Amino acid sequence: MSKQKVPYIPLDMPKVLSKKNKLLSLWHLMRGYHFHYFVSTIFLALAAFARTGMYVYLGTFIDRMIKERLTGQELTLSALTFGALIALQALSSFMSSWMANFTAENTTRRLRDYLFDHIQRLSYSYHSESKTGDLLERATSDVDTLRRFFADQAIGVGRIVMIFIISFVAIARINMRLALVSIIIIPIVLVISIIFFKRLSKAYEAYQEQGAVLTTDLQENLSGVRVVKAFARQDYEIEKFDKQNAEKFRLGRKFNWMHALFWPLSDIICSAQNIGSSFLAATMVLNDVITIGAFISFHGLLGWLIWPIRNLGRLIIDTSRALVSFGRIAVVLQAVEEDMTASTYQPKDGIKGQITFDKVSFAYEKDFLVLDDVSFECEAGKVVALLGSTGSGKTSLVNLLPRFYDVTSGQILLDGVNLNEYSREFLRSQIGIVEQEPFLFSCSIRDNITYGVHRDVSQEEIEEAAREAAIHDVILGFKHGYDTLVGERGVTLSGGQKQRLAIARTLLINPRILILDDSTSSVDMETEVQIRAALDSLMNNRTTFIIAHRIQSIMNADLILVFDKGKIVQMGEHEVLLNQDGIYKDIYDIQARIDSALQEEIDRVESI
Amino acid sequence: MSNQYNEEELDDVVNLKSGVVGRLIKSLKPYWPQMLLSVVGIALVSYLDAYYNILNKRIIDEGIVAKNLPVMIGLFRNYAIVVLSQMVGFFIMIYLMGLLGEQLRYDFRKKLFHHLQSLSLSYFSKTPLGWIMSRVTSDTEKMADLLTWGVLDTVWAVTNISFAVYFMLQLNARLAVIAMLSLPVMIFVSFKFRVKIYHHYRQSRKANSKMTASLNENITGVRVVKALRREAKNLDDFKVLSTNMFQESYRAVLLSAIYLPTIQTISAISLVLILWRGGLQVADGTITVGVLQAFISYIMFILWPIQDLARVYAEMQNAIASSERVFSLLDVKPEIHNRENLLSVDSLVGDVEFENVSFHYEDDEPVIKNLSFHIPQGQTVALVGTTGGGKTTIVNLLCRFYEPSEGVIRIAGHDYTQYPLEDIQSRIGVVLQVPHLFSGSVRDNLRYGRLNATDEQIEQAAKLAGAHEFIMNFEKGYNQDVGEGGNQLSVGQKQLISIARALLAEPDIFVMDEATSSVDTLTEALIQKGMHQLMSGRTSFIIAHRLSTIKSADLIMVIDGGQITEQGTHESLMRKKGHYYNLYTKQFRHDLETKYNLFADQEPEASAA
Repeated sequence: MSKQKVPYIPLDMPKVLSKKNKLLSLWHLMRGYHFHYFVSTIFLALAAFARTGMYVYLGTFIDRMIKERLTGQELTLSALTFGALIALQALSSFMSSWMANFTAENTTRRLRDYLFDHIQRLSYSYHSESKTGDLLERATSDVDTLRRFFADQAIGVGRIVMIFIISFVAIARINMRLALVSIIIIPIVLVISIIFFKRLSKAYEAYQEQGAVLTTDLQENLSGVRVVKAFARQDYEIEKFDKQNAEKFRLGRKFNWMHALFWPLSDIICSAQNIGSSFLAATMVLNDVITIGAFISFHGLLGWLIWPIRNLGRLIIDTSRALVSFGRIAVVLQAVEEDMTASTYQPKDGIKGQITFDKVSFAYEKDFLVLDDVSFECEAGKVVALLGSTGSGKTSLVNLLPRFYDVTSGQILLDGVNLNEYSREFLRSQIGIVEQEPFLFSCSIRDNITYGVHRDVSQEEIEEAAREAAIHDVILGFKHGYDTLVGERGVTLSGGQKQRLAIARTLLINPRILILDDSTSSVDMETEVQIRAALDSLMNNRTTFIIAHRIQSIMNADLILVFDKGKIVQMGEHEVLLNQDGIYKDIYDIQARIDSALQEEIDRVESI
Repeated sequence: MSNQYNEEELDDVVNLKSGVVGRLIKSLKPYWPQMLLSVVGIALVSYLDAYYNILNKRIIDEGIVAKNLPVMIGLFRNYAIVVLSQMVGFFIMIYLMGLLGEQLRYDFRKKLFHHLQSLSLSYFSKTPLGWIMSRVTSDTEKMADLLTWGVLDTVWAVTNISFAVYFMLQLNARLAVIAMLSLPVMIFVSFKFRVKIYHHYRQSRKANSKMTASLNENITGVRVVKALRREAKNLDDFKVLSTNMFQESYRAVLLSAIYLPTIQTISAISLVLILWRGGLQVADGTITVGVLQAFISYIMFILWPIQDLARVYAEMQNAIASSERVFSLLDVKPEIHNRENLLSVDSLVGDVEFENVSFHYEDDEPVIKNLSFHIPQGQTVALVGTTGGGKTTIVNLLCRFYEPSEGVIRIAGHDYTQYPLEDIQSRIGVVLQVPHLFSGSVRDNLRYGRLNATDEQIEQAAKLAGAHEFIMNFEKGYNQDVGEGGNQLSVGQKQLISIARALLAEPDIFVMDEATSSVDTLTEALIQKGMHQLMSGRTSFIIAHRLSTIKSADLIMVIDGGQITEQGTHESLMRKKGHYYNLYTKQFRHDLETKYNLFADQEPEASAA
C-alpha cells in the first residue's frame, strides 16, 4: 500500500470547541471543505431540478404527442432532451454524492489523526483516570458516526427536503388543490416515522447489547475451558449459553416484528395517499381541469413527494445520535494536552545530572500527600536507591523527574536549575526509564529496541546493545531473529526478557539520568548474573534512581533513601545506615536472619 | 501463529465443490415451510410490483383517455386491493424471513457452542480465541443473512425482472426488445461495480481494524510513548494507517457514488430509444399513451432489482467463505473422546500409576519422555522444577486434558482410557494457578463445584476452605458479584474460592497448580489450610512453589526436560545437594524476603494507573 501522506488543512480546534451549538461545531469541523459541501448542495438541488424537470417534460411531451402528430425530428429531439435530463440528474447526483463523501472522508480522517495525537499528548493523570476502552470507543465508533452524518444524514435530510419542495412546487404549478391534497398525509407519516425509528433504534440497541453479553459469555467460557473441563460442566455451560442465546433470539424477533410491521403499515398509509390523490387527479382529467400529460407528470412526482418522508424519521434520529457522538468526542478534545515545549532552558553542553530535591511535596488529590517534604541531593553520575514499602512514595518520586507530574510544593533542581525551566521534551530526552516489566509494542524486536531512539541505528549497534543487555542470544534463538514479532502475533517474552530489551534500548538512547526498577522476577541464576552485569554497564557514569528490590543494588548505592508514608525516614550510605537503628538496619538484619535460617535448615537435613 | 488463522491475509478463495452450499441448504431443513411461504410471499410481492404498471396503463387508457368514470373507479378499487394484498405479502415475507434469520443465527451459535464444549484442550491451545469468537459471532450472521435476505433479494429481483419482461412482451414485443437491449449491459456493469465496491469496503474494514489496534496500543503504552518522546513518530505511523483507511473507504464510496448514476445513464439510452420509437408508434396509433408510460416505468424501475442482484452476488462470496470456516470448525473432531465398552465406576479411589508415558504435541519434540511412577492412594506428590520442564503437562495428562502419546496411565488399577471422560474429569478436583472464575455471584461460582449443592453445603465448603470470612465481609456476602473473570476479587480471594469450589465437588484425586504470585500472609495461611483440607485422604498432585507445601509432601519429584531428574523426600533431596537443593535455597530466600515484605513490589498508584 502506498505510504504517501496526503496533506490537509489543519483543524481550528478552539473554534470548533467554542461553539455552543453542536451543529455549528460540526460545521467548523469541516474547515477547508465548506466549498466542497457547498458544491455538493448545489448539485443536490440541480439533481432535484433535473428529476422534477424530467417528469414535467414527460407530461408535456405526452400532451404534445396526443394533440398533434410530431415529426420524426421533433420526436428525436424530445427523446434526446428527456435522455439529457436523466443524464443531468445522474451526473448531478454523482457530483453531489462525491463532494459530500469527499468532505466526510477527509474531515473524519483529519479528526482521527487529531484525536490520535491529542490522546497521546494528554497528561499522565488523565490517562490514569480514563479507561482505554472508553477512549478507544470515542476515537473510533463515535468518529465513524460523524462520518456517516457528513456523508449521509446531513446530505440526506437536505436531499429529501429539497426534492419535497421542488416536487411540491411542480405539482402546485399543475394544480394547487392537487398539491395541497397530496401532502395531507405527510405530517402523519413523519410523526409515525420518527416515533417508529426511535423505538426501533432502542430495540436494536437492546439486541446489540445482548449480542455483547453473548460474546462475553462465549469469551468467558473459552478462556475458562480448563475449569469447564475440570468440573465436566459442559452441559451446564451449554444450558447457560442457551439462555442468553435464546434471549438474543427473543430480542431479535421483537426487532424483526417492529420492522415487519412498520414498512407495510407506512406503505399502506402512503399508498392510500397515492391512490387518493391520483384518483383526484384522474377525475380532474375527466373534468378537463388538467391534461393527461399533467396527470402522468403528477403521478411520477407524487412518488418523490411521499415516499422519502418515511426515511426522514430515520435520518432525524441518526442526526441526533451524531450530535451525541460529537458531544462524547468533544469531552476528550476539551482535555488539556501536556505542554511539551513550554519553558526553553537548554544548557549548551547538555546536562551533567546533578539533582536536588528541595522540600518537595506532591499530592495526586488535594490534602493527601504522597510525598511529604522530601529533600536530598545527588551528585552527577551517582546512584540513589529508593527503599520502602508499597505506597511509600518511591514511584511517585521518580515520576516527577521526567515531569509526568509536577511538584505540588517545593522544587527540584537539575544542575542547579529548577526542573520547570526545562521543557518536558528536553527532560525526557535526557532520562531513560527501565521498568520492571516494560510495555512492548507489537512490532519486531528490532523496532522495539530502537523505539524512541531518535536517530538511525545500524544493525551492528543494535546487536552490540543487545549483547550488552544479555538478550542477543535469546533473540537469535527465535526463528526470525531480530525480525521476530512481539505480542499476539509473535513471541511472548518473559518479564525478564522484556526488561533486557528495554535495557538495550536505553543503552542506545544513552541518557544522562536513569530510572530503574530493579526487579527480582523469576530468572535462573545465570541470567540473573547477566542482568546484573547489564545493569551495571547501564548505570555506569549515569545519575541513577533505583527502585530497589534486592540488597545488592542497595549496598553499592551512593545514597540510600528509606521511605515511609511519603517521608524520607533514613538517608545515607549503606555503612552509615547499618550503624543506625531503623528500618534499614531491620531489613538488613532480616536478610542476615534469612541466611542463618537457611543454614540451619541445611544443617538440620545433614544431621538426619 | 500459523497462517490459517490470519484472517486478514486470507482471500476468500471459495471452493464450491467442498459441499458448502449443500450443507448451507441442509441447515434450512427444519424451516422449509417458513422458507417456502416467504419465497411465495416475495414472489407475489414481486409480481405485484411489476403488475402496478399494467394497472396504471389501464387507468390511463381505459379510464382517463376513454373518459370512463365507472371503469376508472373500478380500476382504482383494484389498485387498492392490489396494494393491500401486496402489503400482506410484504408483511408475511419480512416477518417470516426475519424470524428465520434469527432462528438460523440461534441455531448456528448453539451448534457451534455445543461443538466447542466437546473439543479437547489441545484445540484451544493452538487456536486463537479471537478466531473462534469471530466464527461464532460474525460468521454466523453472514451465513444467516445469505440464507434469508440473500435468497429473498435474489428471488425478488429475478421474479421482478422476469415479470417485467413478460409484461413488456405482452404489451408490445418490438418495444420490449428495445427496452431489453440495455439489460445485459446494466447487469454486467452492476456486477462489476458491486464486486469492486465490496472489495474496497472490506479493505477499509481491515484498514479500520489495523487503525484501531494501533490506537489501542498507543493508549495502553502511553507511558512509554511519553517517556521516549515518540509522539511525533507515532503520529506519522498512524497517519499512514489512517491514510490507508481513507483511501480504501474513499474508493468504496466514490465507486458507490459513480455506480448508480452510471446505470441510470445506461438506462437513459433505453429510455431515449423507447420514447422515440414509442412516440412514433403512439402517433401511428399502434400503441396507447398508457403503454408508453408503462414502458418508461418498467425501465426506470428495473434498476432496483438489478442493483439488489449485484449486491447479493458480491456479498455471497464472502458469506460462503464464512460458512466454509464455520463448517471447518464444526468438522474438527475432539482429540480426546470416550472409547467403547466403558468401565463405569463410582469412584477413582486408588493408586495412580504412570507407565512409560511419553507425550508430544502434534509433530513437535516430546514434552514428556518415558515417564514412570507409582503413587499409592492418599499420598501427596509435589512436582517441582523450572518452567517449561513438563510439570503442567504431567498434570494435564493426569486430568486427561491430553492423553499419552505412548504408555499407559492407570487410576485405581485400570487404564484410564477405559473410564468415561466425564467421570475422570469430575472425579479429579483441579485448582489452577490463575484461578478462573465466571462472572456472577460468589455463590454461583462455588456451586460450579456441585450444581445441586444446598446453600448450607456451599457455606460449609467455604468455611473449610477458609473463604467464608472474607465472603461475609462483602457487602452482599455470598451474593456479591465477582465481576468478569472474577476481576473484582484479589488473586488470593480467587484462589480461596476456587479451593472451596473444588472441595464442594468432593473429588477423589486433587490437583493443584500453586500460584507464584505473592498474597498477603493471612490469605496465604488460609490457602494452606484449605489445601490441607483438600489433600487429606486424597491422592494429590501439587505443582508446588511454596516451601511448606513441598516439605510436607510425601514425595517430591523434580521434573526437568520431561523427565524426573530427582525424587525423594525433602531431606533426602537436600542431602544430595543437586538440582533440588539449588531450587530450594533460592526459593527459601525469596519466600522469606516476601514474607518480611522487604522490597514491596509496586506502589498502588502505579498499579492503579
